[in-house]
Amino acid sequence: MEKVQIILAGIGGQGILFSSRIFSEWGLKMGLPIMGSETHGMSQRGGSVIAHLKLGDFHSPMIRGGTADILYSFEENETYKSLKFLRSGAICFANLESAERFDRKILDHLQEKGITFRAYDASGAASRMGSIMSTNIILIGYSVGTGLVPFQYDDLKSVLESITKKTYLEVNLKAFETGFRAGKE
Amino acid sequence: MAQKEEVRILLGNAAIGRGIVEAGCHVMTSYPGTPSSEILPAVVAFKKELGLNTYIEWSANEKVAFDNALAASMSGKRAAVAMKQVGLNVASDSLMSSAYTGVIGGLVIISCDDPGPHSSQTEQDSRFFGMFAKVPVYDPSTPQEAKEMVKEAFELSESFQIPVLVRPTIRVSHARQNVKFSPVEVFDRPADFKKNPDRWAATPRYRLMLHKKLNESLIQIQERFENDTRWNYRIGDGPGTSIGIITCSMSFAALMDILEESNLKGSVNVLKIGTPYPLPQRKVAAFINKHEKVLVIEETDAVIESQIIDKSKVLGRLTGHIPLQGELVPDVIYNILAGVLEEHDVAHLESSTDAEFDMRIDELELPVRRPTLCAGCPERAAFFAIRKALPKAIYTSDIGCYTLGLNLNAVDTVLDMGAGITLASGFYQAYHQDSNDIAIVATMGDSTFYHSGTASLLNAVYNKAKFILVILDNEITAMTGMQPTPGLGITADGSEGVKIPLEELIRGCGVKWIRTIDPYDVDALIALLKEARVYTQSSDGGVAAIIARHPCLICYPEARREVTVKVEITDDCNGCNYCIDYFECPALRLNEEQDIVEIDRKFCVDCGVCINVCPRGAIVPIES
Repeated sequence: MEKVQIILAGIGGQGILFSSRIFSEWGLKMGLPIMGSETHGMSQRGGSVIAHLKLGDFHSPMIRGGTADILYSFEENETYKSLKFLRSGAICFANLESAERFDRKILDHLQEKGITFRAYDASGAASRMGSIMSTNIILIGYSVGTGLVPFQYDDLKSVLESITKKTYLEVNLKAFETGFRAGKE
Repeated sequence: MAQKEEVRILLGNAAIGRGIVEAGCHVMTSYPGTPSSEILPAVVAFKKELGLNTYIEWSANEKVAFDNALAASMSGKRAAVAMKQVGLNVASDSLMSSAYTGVIGGLVIISCDDPGPHSSQTEQDSRFFGMFAKVPVYDPSTPQEAKEMVKEAFELSESFQIPVLVRPTIRVSHARQNVKFSPVEVFDRPADFKKNPDRWAATPRYRLMLHKKLNESLIQIQERFENDTRWNYRIGDGPGTSIGIITCSMSFAALMDILEESNLKGSVNVLKIGTPYPLPQRKVAAFINKHEKVLVIEETDAVIESQIIDKSKVLGRLTGHIPLQGELVPDVIYNILAGVLEEHDVAHLESSTDAEFDMRIDELELPVRRPTLCAGCPERAAFFAIRKALPKAIYTSDIGCYTLGLNLNAVDTVLDMGAGITLASGFYQAYHQDSNDIAIVATMGDSTFYHSGTASLLNAVYNKAKFILVILDNEITAMTGMQPTPGLGITADGSEGVKIPLEELIRGCGVKWIRTIDPYDVDALIALLKEARVYTQSSDGGVAAIIARHPCLICYPEARREVTVKVEITDDCNGCNYCIDYFECPALRLNEEQDIVEIDRKFCVDCGVCINVCPRGAIVPIES
């Protein structure tokens, strides 16, 4: 794989920037050039937050509509708004209680375009773990578990170990593991 | 043995900070503002990591920051000053004058633009300020390039004794890239200010001579940019298509990805300009001559395009080919390119948008998620009290998190830093002139007050204006990422400074009526606001200042635990939505199916302020 374009979408406080960092560090480990774009400032106060990440040979940190390979979305409405970034054949991981909640027509349209849509209740799993802040790591773990993404379990785990603050390491690894197992099922 | 080249993933602003450090800069100053806020902290981090002696300050405002950096440069040291684009407005008086008097040690100004705008009042293009002041401008397109340009800017500044502007846009400042490091240069430059009143204290007669000298320097700098191939270069060396493109900054980066994805790289010739002022005119003219038409894609305004002498072949903003406002995101550039290439029979680009899909998403009528004050934010409590106490007042406000008091209908005006007070005194005088008494409540954050509140306030007091000023003192510059204020008395690198208490400052501005209160005590604040209103109406009254002090909960998480009141919603809730409309806490949400309000424990911080909000008394503390 020489190029991968990832969109991470959600709202302020959902750990979008940390999630983006996980994949950037992964890219660095893989020896890929990294270009990402982040939202800072006013939107961080509960507004829409979106991170673009391009690994491989790119110039711009921003992803054009219809060209992204993977979308991680941590909030339902932000999922709808971010789907436009995906190319045909791309994959979306949505934090959602169930795929039934999602608009039927949109799902059909995604299917026509060959876009894989995987819904997983990462927030629910995070609540059960007693750590709602871990929703992002759980969804990322889930995606690795499905085997549909180019990231390997050991690689992302070691990235997490290297970039997580000590006090949160245990809970982050547990979240990653929880998501990973759910993804494998 | 050669050391392995170090590579780190850095935010654009951190790369700029690294460039400042690598250039051996001695003094760095800044006032925080998105998208520039992360530059100074990066310099602090590298200073600590490398054990450097850099002097770094968060200044009270951008002009203050500029002058402090300039004095270092006049003493022979290298200095940098960083700010957001509207901050350059504040510093512009110094910028204009210093272009004439010049510098000794390299002086680099970093002004971060915000096309969009994402977090600003305007979309202004700082490069125009470079032209206006007649200082050279570098315009980076990636974090790596920004770092290298900063270093060259120091060198250029020193060679020509001129301040140099580096203008990253928000997408460069907030891009993240693997950045290659270079060794840190060290210059031993003890401060040595050489008196020269003809220059440093030049009277108008000498200013004319300085202006002439400046113009001569610019000609030489322009010549240097003509010969530069590091920032100003051509991509595609063949005859190319009939259309050529001149571009810069983030537009260049987006364009290159699009040309590559569309298999047009190499066939559509591109001239990349990294030094938009003074424009390398010969280079640009030579490129234009080789093509039938040339499209100029630049952000945010027509700076390169305006400078082109013969515009007969040029397509751009001035010909309506590029939008006059808004950010040039890749999709916008794609559509511009597709239109121009189609129009001139060069190539056909498939539409990148899926109209049917966009329509389906539109049909869902998704709510727009506007930014909002955090759950438990003391500013929300203050705004609620203000509206409750004085519902008919004019609410003048200012720049910061508390601009979001808009959502609570407690903000009527937001102009620029300091205008919360100046517009309040202006409204007072406009009404007072007609003998009309009007309640006016100005709100301003602590950091904004230190930035530009004092001149506004003492002017209001001096001219006998009467209004209520509420300083929302959360003891930090919160919106831009928790930078310390003079009120905190902590300096940029975390060391102790001298605390400037708000109370003393306000008293010093001549205000006689000053009270301090915790806005969490909503009832007491409402009573105090009414008392303040009476004072402003009394014959010997004036400005009534209330300092609503409660620490920012994000910056000081321990402030959450000072008082915790777990609340619940009783059956008395009838879903009237009052608490959501007038308090707008993210932790309160309407359950539409049952038509009652619920508490979202994900967000709730147990501040208990909402107990004061429900008109039916349905929000109550949980008995423990």
